[in-house]
Amino acid sequence: MFIVYGTFLILLVSYGAAIMALEILSSHLMAPFFGGSIYIWGSIISSFLVHFSVGYVLGGYLSKRNSSFTHFSLFLLCASLWILAIPKIYIPICEYLTETIDDIRLGSLLAMNLIFFVPVTIMASVAPFIIGSIPGSHQKRGFTAGLVLFISTVGSFLGTNVTAFYLIDLFPVSRIIMGIGLYCLFITVIVLLLRIDRRLVPKERF
Amino acid sequence: MGKKILIIALFLLFIFGWVTGAISVRERYGDTAILFEGDSIYNHITVKKEGSLYCMLFGRLRDSRETCIDLNDPDLSVFEYTAMMFVGFLFHPESKNICLIGLGGGYIPSLFSRYLPQVQLQIVEIDPLVVKLAKKYFNFTLSARQNLAIEDGRLYLRKNAKLFDQIWVDAFNSDYIPAHMTTREFLLLCKQRLTTHGILLQNVHGGNQLYDAQVETFRSVFAKVFVFEGERSANRIIVAADRPLYEPPDLWKQGLPFQGKIGKIDLRREAKKYNPKPSIKKAPILTDDYNPANLMLLRS
Repeated sequence: MFIVYGTFLILLVSYGAAIMALEILSSHLMAPFFGGSIYIWGSIISSFLVHFSVGYVLGGYLSKRNSSFTHFSLFLLCASLWILAIPKIYIPICEYLTETIDDIRLGSLLAMNLIFFVPVTIMASVAPFIIGSIPGSHQKRGFTAGLVLFISTVGSFLGTNVTAFYLIDLFPVSRIIMGIGLYCLFITVIVLLLRIDRRLVPKERF
Repeated sequence: MGKKILIIALFLLFIFGWVTGAISVRERYGDTAILFEGDSIYNHITVKKEGSLYCMLFGRLRDSRETCIDLNDPDLSVFEYTAMMFVGFLFHPESKNICLIGLGGGYIPSLFSRYLPQVQLQIVEIDPLVVKLAKKYFNFTLSARQNLAIEDGRLYLRKNAKLFDQIWVDAFNSDYIPAHMTTREFLLLCKQRLTTHGILLQNVHGGNQLYDAQVETFRSVFAKVFVFEGERSANRIIVAADRPLYEPPDLWKQGLPFQGKIGKIDLRREAKKYNPKPSIKKAPILTDDYNPANLMLLRS
């Protein structure tokens, strides 16, 4: 079970960090097209909250359906590939929206959702999926839903600060996003190779 | 009992007004008064009066005087940079269309109304509260040849294909210049909106790494970049063009325009602030993709 919980830990920290890193970076993607006003932050935060809520439902639903970890990893694979595509797709999307929509609030809200809905929703589903995958006996021994959310939030804290204070100073935004995508892809492939399903005790699954 | 309730109600009303900024705060110390303090969606703005000097300050600490007008002497350029920006007319004396990004208290448009009535001035200001306060406290009015767009400067240029002889960028928020107006892509957009001999001017502050990066970024976009350095301030005016009509050291080769004076602004004196070899340290070019403006501003 050490490998299983080590994998959970890495997944929670990595995806928690990736989500917040993308949130910080999204302001740099939006500003050239929609300005740097508080409206942009309103769009960013509200869009991510919508993605989180859908992601939580998705993660809970997949776990209740007893989806295998392999299936779930395919979702993560999609999210990673989508992140890798963001530096290519955001310019045409934002250009199209600025040309067709005058209201920067609506334009930025649509842009945020078109660019980030798929990857952020999938990444937000990691924590609830893992909560549903933890055998009941282990929950009783302390690996609770609260602990899972704690670990994921620590990842988010790291992702926010490392990105805002260091990465933005060192690398272009597109390269940071590519780095996040590659890292998520690497973690997902490792998870697939580890075949977590075989290591989890089926009887004990919720 | 009723009196107590009334007192409590008035007290609560005052607290509510104070907290929401619905009541403009008025303080008076001798001849100094705070006429307005409140928040717009972009800035925390204070309007302060010191004798006949009216200033609009941005930011909570009221530590950076952004724009001032002496109502007894409205031609006086209280800040050095506002006078320095008029060197643009030495590069392109016959300018007919100018775009000014950033209104402040409206000092620059007021000079255009009085001394440059032939110029069509397009003003772009993002903050509606700045416009409201400029009208209320700074006697700002639009003349017949002036237009005002309440919009982000970069978005305005992006959406409007009109060409200008000069674009003046004087956009600041409570921190500094908005980061998206420091990048190569922004300068390329400005370049697209300039006439053949058009020039771009930007007001910046020296003495930080961001300034070095901005000059380098200008140099990566325009064939010719000139830096004018304030003598009594850290302000720098970056002037850029591909094919200017005149350029230092021959700025008034064909005669000094406007007899060298726009109101009280002495163009000859402002032109002397040109530094042919500004001290620029090696710095990266700023792009929409790589732009750690906030962090660079803190480094000397």
